[in-house]
Amino acid sequence: MTLLENLAAGFELVANFESVFALAGGVLIGVIAGAIPGLSATMAVALTLPFTFAMQPITGILLLLGVYKGGIFGGSIPAILIKTPGTPASSATILDGHPMVKNGQAGKALGMALWASCTADLISNLALILCAGWLAAFALKFGPPEFFTLILFSLTIIAGVSGDSLLKGIVSALFGLILATIGLDLVYGTNRFTLNDPNLMGGLNFIAVLIGLFAIPEILAMVWNPKSNEGETQSLGKEWVTFAEYKRCFKSIVRGSFIGVFLGSIPGIGAAPSAFLSYSEARRKSPNKENFGKGEIEGVAASESGNNGVAGATLIPLLALGIPGDVITAVIIGAFMVHNLQPGPMMFLNSPDIIYGLFMGLIISSVFLFLIGSVAIRAFRYVADIPRGILFPAVMVLCVYGCYAVNNNIFDVGVMFAMGWLGYVMLCKGIPAAPFLIAFILGPLLEDNFRQSMLMSGGSGEILVRGPITWFFWTLTIITIVAIIRSGLGKKKAEAVEHGNQE
Amino acid sequence: MLNNSYFSTGLASLILSLFLLFVAIPYGVTAPSNVTNIVLSPVFWPEVLSVLLGITGIALMISGRSAVKDSVAELLPTKGCYKRIAFLAVLMAAYVAAIPVLGLVWTSMISFVALAVLIKTSHPRTALISAVVIPLVLYMFFAHVAGMAIPQGEFLRLP
Repeated sequence: MTLLENLAAGFELVANFESVFALAGGVLIGVIAGAIPGLSATMAVALTLPFTFAMQPITGILLLLGVYKGGIFGGSIPAILIKTPGTPASSATILDGHPMVKNGQAGKALGMALWASCTADLISNLALILCAGWLAAFALKFGPPEFFTLILFSLTIIAGVSGDSLLKGIVSALFGLILATIGLDLVYGTNRFTLNDPNLMGGLNFIAVLIGLFAIPEILAMVWNPKSNEGETQSLGKEWVTFAEYKRCFKSIVRGSFIGVFLGSIPGIGAAPSAFLSYSEARRKSPNKENFGKGEIEGVAASESGNNGVAGATLIPLLALGIPGDVITAVIIGAFMVHNLQPGPMMFLNSPDIIYGLFMGLIISSVFLFLIGSVAIRAFRYVADIPRGILFPAVMVLCVYGCYAVNNNIFDVGVMFAMGWLGYVMLCKGIPAAPFLIAFILGPLLEDNFRQSMLMSGGSGEILVRGPITWFFWTLTIITIVAIIRSGLGKKKAEAVEHGNQE
Repeated sequence: MLNNSYFSTGLASLILSLFLLFVAIPYGVTAPSNVTNIVLSPVFWPEVLSVLLGITGIALMISGRSAVKDSVAELLPTKGCYKRIAFLAVLMAAYVAAIPVLGLVWTSMISFVALAVLIKTSHPRTALISAVVIPLVLYMFFAHVAGMAIPQGEFLRLP
């Protein structure tokens, strides 16, 4: 089938009421969740996931993608208005967004955030459509050793860049990998850490782990300090963004979008670094660089295009290779699994209609993002005012229903709460949760490909360096480790100098 | 200077690694006796991960001794925080235990109210209404739209 035929087949799958409604509903849920400080886009996607079980695969996945995109934009609303980023990706938006609010230009800042987000989203989606198929065709040459080295590389980079410390990232990933070994052995079918309990023989439920890890710690943090996440909402002001301003910032928006696309397509980097890089590049190149940090509209445009440019690109490794690009796509992979779909190169051969349906849906989602975002900006006051004393109990109940619905099993609810406590301890100790979850998903795949490679070679490790692809990924892994260690040492040195100066 | 979050994480990782290597893997993983190659054995992967965890734990402990400051933002204790956290732990355990007896809907309503009280909601009336409405709406969706069997409990059954 040609690209056009595939796109037509995909369009046919999406052009129905359910899919369009799911997409619009997803964007709306995402914007609302992203706009509520204390909720995150990840949490919103995780909590929406159980509602997709009863849906058609394409409808369910579109709903989650809508939540993802809406959530990333929604996070910028409280970042600008109350100086509290709804998602970590919106942290850079505060730098110029909030000073604009202080100058009475809240409406202008939010308008630019929306325009930049939608433009970057569109560019990111187009990059996905152009790159994913090509990458998937290349990945068809991969065998178990190539996949093993690819997953190992992804885990290294995810563990290394997800937190302040490489070592803590590795510990987090190792916890996830160890937990993923619970259940029956992949080759021999013998028990591993099951305690002869039938509930554990299929391994820990992925959705219980992810909801526990991302939603429950927020409830615990709220109970620890019920006064947190309170901010004062500002009025929108009378000024609105003009087309001339959009045109002036267009270069920064496109640059930020490409930065987002590039960083988003590398597993594990995510939206926050992309937003900061886009912001610093815009400041470096702007004629108004001295105005950055004091309420420069180009700063808002750059950071928002940087973080939204990631949204489509993170799906490139997910769809083409079956490797989640960030923690939200790791959650979305759950929706594929629930519907017996395995993202990766074979999906392009076996279910091209779903792949191209997703592409079409993503393009449509940019339009919904613009329409719903415009309304959400004006309605933010009502969203932000949802009392925390009602929001968090509701989240807990939602978590329990969602987790129970996966297998109709109360045991999973217990696992979710236990993972919540683990997630909270990790939060307190500064251990990033993203490597844990991604390693938990990739763990069985990593082990499976390793053992298949060993079966193919009769136990010889040489197969893991059998060709240029494996060499390529080994080299990337080594370069990543060296780069992360060097940056860690540099940071330590700077801290030591700072510490010495203070003394 | 000792960096607490690094040192304690490293120590916990090392202890977990030793526990896995000497207790959990020998007693919790069954390996068939006819496996000739160690790399294909069901114990190989957990053992490799446990060793790596131990090594990373040691590295974290060393790193904790040499680090100059802890980058973890401390969660400062607030008034009554330990009591609230302990109560939440009990609430979670009771939530799971009560589902088979009271049913998911009624247990959720009670838990909703308990958590709202715990975090001292400033809107008690809205919380009470939400505590009734939200579990019921979720029940309607999962039971009647998604067709799932929601536990009903032993006392009061819903249609």
